[in-house]
Amino acid sequence: MWSTFVSAVGFGVVLASIISVAAMGFTIQFGLTNVLNLSFGAVMTVAAFVAYLANSHGVGGWSDLAIGGVAGAALTLLLGRGIFKPYARRGAQLFEMMMVTLGLSLIIDYAVQAISHNNIYQYAVLPSRPFQLGAILITHTQLIIVFISIGVLVGLLALLRLTKVGKALRAMAADPDLARACGIRTGQIVVVTWLLSGFLCGLAGVVYIINTQSVGYTTGELFLPLVVAAAILGGAGSPLGAVLASLIMGIVTEVVSAFGSDSYSTVAGFGILVLVLLSRPGSVRGGQAGHTQLTL
Amino acid sequence: MTAWSYYIATLTVYFGVDVLAALSVNLQFGFAGVVNFGFIVFQSVGAYIAAVVVLGPSSGTFQQYVFGARLPFGVALLLATAAGAVLSLAVGLFSLRNIRSDYQAAILLIISLIATQVVQGYVPLFNGSNGITGVPRPFGSLPLSLQGYEWAYAGWVLLFCAVAYALVTWLSRSPWGRALRAMRDQEDAAAALGLNVTALRLQVFVIGGAIAGLSGGLLVEYIGAWSPDAWGYAETFVIFTSIFVGGVGNYRGAVLGVLLVPIVFLELPRFLPQVGYPGLMDSMEWIAIGAIWMLCLYVRPQGILPERRNRARRASGKAAIPAEPAEQMEPA
Amino acid sequence: MSLLAARGVVVAYGGVRAVDGVSLDLEPGESLGLIGPNGAGKSSFLGALGGQIRLAEGSIALEGHEVGRLPAFKRARRGITRTFQMTSEFARMTVFENLVTAGHGAEGAALARVVLRRRETRRAERDVADRAWAVLDRFEMTHAADFYGAELSGGQRRLVEIMRCLMREPKVLLLDEPMVGVAPHLVAKLTSDLRSIQDDGIALVIVEHALEVVQDLCGRVIVMALGRPIATGTFDEVVADPEVQAAYVG
Repeated sequence: MWSTFVSAVGFGVVLASIISVAAMGFTIQFGLTNVLNLSFGAVMTVAAFVAYLANSHGVGGWSDLAIGGVAGAALTLLLGRGIFKPYARRGAQLFEMMMVTLGLSLIIDYAVQAISHNNIYQYAVLPSRPFQLGAILITHTQLIIVFISIGVLVGLLALLRLTKVGKALRAMAADPDLARACGIRTGQIVVVTWLLSGFLCGLAGVVYIINTQSVGYTTGELFLPLVVAAAILGGAGSPLGAVLASLIMGIVTEVVSAFGSDSYSTVAGFGILVLVLLSRPGSVRGGQAGHTQLTL
Repeated sequence: MTAWSYYIATLTVYFGVDVLAALSVNLQFGFAGVVNFGFIVFQSVGAYIAAVVVLGPSSGTFQQYVFGARLPFGVALLLATAAGAVLSLAVGLFSLRNIRSDYQAAILLIISLIATQVVQGYVPLFNGSNGITGVPRPFGSLPLSLQGYEWAYAGWVLLFCAVAYALVTWLSRSPWGRALRAMRDQEDAAAALGLNVTALRLQVFVIGGAIAGLSGGLLVEYIGAWSPDAWGYAETFVIFTSIFVGGVGNYRGAVLGVLLVPIVFLELPRFLPQVGYPGLMDSMEWIAIGAIWMLCLYVRPQGILPERRNRARRASGKAAIPAEPAEQMEPA
Repeated sequence: MSLLAARGVVVAYGGVRAVDGVSLDLEPGESLGLIGPNGAGKSSFLGALGGQIRLAEGSIALEGHEVGRLPAFKRARRGITRTFQMTSEFARMTVFENLVTAGHGAEGAALARVVLRRRETRRAERDVADRAWAVLDRFEMTHAADFYGAELSGGQRRLVEIMRCLMREPKVLLLDEPMVGVAPHLVAKLTSDLRSIQDDGIALVIVEHALEVVQDLCGRVIVMALGRPIATGTFDEVVADPEVQAAYVG
C-alpha cells in the first residue's frame, strides 16, 4: 500500500514536470492575453511532430528539444498575429476568442491526422533504463525531464524578475492600459509573449513524446485539460504557481490511477479543472462589475 | 429508387433529431446566452434512458445496464425527456454561475467529457465502451414495408420538431423570453429591474435539456444502439456550427443551419470520389467544419438569418413608425 | 421613518475600506447629490445601496424594512432601481422591448404565469405596452421605439435607461454619473426630465461629477472623500466649506 503510494507520487512528480513546462507556457500566454487558448494542445502536437521529423533525419535528442521549441514559437506567433489579433479587432470578446481557438484546434488536429496518415510513430530518443532512487523506480529519461522543468522554471523566473523585458511582461499582465501609459511598447510585448509561450509549448510537446516514446495526432489532446487546470489553479501569469499546481495535478492523477483506474484519474483531472474554473478569481463575469479584456 | 428512398428517409430522421438539438441550443445560447458546450450529454442521457427502459432486464452476459423495464416506447420517450430535464437541473445547479462565458463553456464541455469517461469506466451502468445495442424499434410488428416504416418514423420525428418549434418560438416571444434576452444582454441591469437571473438560467437550461433528452430518445429508438465513442463533443460542435451558420437567436435560422451543416455539408463527401488513403476524407471533413466555423465567426457571427428586430405596434394595430427609420438621429 | 435610510455603510475590497461609514436619509421626491473627488467611494456606496456590492457593515432600510442583506433583484422588486455608469440598455432589444421587459418585471416574466395563465399574460402584454407608449410619449422618444441602443446617441441611451427604470414605478432611483457620455445640449433636457421624475414623488440619489447638474437638481448634497462623508447640506453650503475645497484641490 505504502510503496504503491510512494511510487505513484514519484510518477506524479515526473508527470508534473511534463505538465509544468506546458502550464508555464500557458500561464504566461493566458496571464497577458486572457485568451483561453484551446489550440495550445494542437500546437504542442505540431511541435512534437516537427521534432520527430528532425529526429528521423538524424538530429539528436537535445537539438530536438530546441527545434520543437522554435517550431512552437513560430507557429504560436503566426496564430497570434495572423488569427487571434484580426478576430479581436473584429470585436471578438472572451467567449468568441475561445471558440476561435476551438475551431483552430479542430483544423490543426485533423490536418496533422491527415498528413500523418493517422499513424503513430516511434520516438525512442534516449535509452531508458530504470534505476532505484530511494523507494521510487525511475528512468534516466524521466530524471532528465524533471531537471528540464526545473531549468525552465528557474530560467523563466530569472527572465521575469531580472530583465527589462520580464518586468514589462509582468506590468502588462497586471494592467495593460497602465503599462501602455507608462510607455511600454505593448505590441512588442505581445509578440514576446507569443514567442516565449510558444517556445515553452513546443518544448512541452517534445518533452511529452520523449516520455511516451511515440507521437500521433492525439498527442496533445487529453493532456490539455491538465495543463489548463494547472495554469489557472496556480494563478494566471505565475510560473511558480503553475509548477506548484502541476505538482498537485500530477500527483493526484497518478495516485488515483494507481489506486483506482486510468478512467478515474482522467475524471479526477477533469474534475479539478471544473472546480478550478468555478472558483478561481477572475471567474466573475464582466458586464458592469468589471471587464476582463483581451490583450492582443 | 428504393435505396435512395431509404437514404432520404434516414437523412430526414437525422435532420429532425438535429433540428431538435439546434432548437435546444439556440434557445439556450441564442436567446439566453447560456453556452451549453456539454449539449451531447443531455441528448445521450435521453438516449440511454430510453434504451434501458425499453429493453428487458439485463442478462449480464451479453450487455450490462441498469433498469431494463420493457416499457412501451411512448413512456420511454417521456422518460428520455424527463432524464434530459433532471440531468440539466443537476448540472445547472452545480455549474451555472455568474462567471466569464468562456469559462462557463469550458466547464460544460469538460462535464460532458467527464460523463463520457464515467460511462466508459463504470460498465454496469450503460455497458461501458461497447454501448447498448438491440434496442427494438417502436411498432416494429406493424404491417409496413421497410420503406414505409422508415418514412413513418421520419414523419413521427418531424411531428416532434414542429411541436418543439412552436413551443420554443412561443416561449421566446413571451415576457419570459424577453427576460432571457435581457439577461443575455446585460445581466446586472436585468437584475436591477427585478429579474432573478439565476432562476432564469436554470429554467432555460432545463427546458433545453428536456428537448435534448427527447432528441436522444427519438434517435436511439430509430438506430437501435448507442455508445459513448460515437457521440462525443464533436456532435455538440456541429450543432453550434449549425447555429452560427444558420442564425443565432432565430429558429428558422437554426433549421436552415441544420440543413446546411450536418445534412448537406457532412453528407456531401459521400458523393464525391474517394481521394487519398481511406480516412483522409473524414479528416478533410473535420478540417472543413473547423474552417467554416472560423469563417462564420469572422464574417457573419450572427448567421445567415440573424435575430429579428421586433417592431412595436400601438393599440390601434398600425405600426407606430415607418418600417425604416427615415430621420437622421442626433449624432452619437 | 424615511423612505430610504442608510446607517454606517461600510464597503471593503480586501483590506481597503472604499466606503467608511456613510449614512443618509431620503424622503419621497427628494433629490440627494453625492459628490467628491475621484476614488471617494461614491459609486461603491451607490452599489451598496443598489445591492450590486456587498455590505460589509451597516444597514440599509427601505420604508423601515431592512434590505441590506438582500440581493439586487430583490431590492429592485421592492422599489430601488438604478442606472449604471456605462449605459446598460439591452443591446439586442429595441427601445420598446427594453421598456416592456422592465414593465413586466419578474412577476410578468415568470415561466409559470406565462405557461399557465395565458389570458392574464396577454392582458398584461397590452397593459405594459400602453404604459410603455405613455412613457415614450412623455419623454418625446416615440420615434425611437424600434431602434437598438447602438443607433442612438449617448444621451438617448441614458434616457432609455431612465425610462426603463420608470416602468418599474420605483420609489428610489439611483443614478451613477448619468451625464457621462451625454452631449452638452442634451444635459439640460435630461436634467429637466429628472426634475419631472422627482415631481412624481420618486426619490433620487445622484452620483455626479458635473457640479452644475447637482446644483440644479439636488436639494441636499453629501460630499465624500476617501470613503468618508466630509460635509452635508445644500449645494451652496458644502461648496463654501473649506474642508470640501481642500479635498477637491489637495
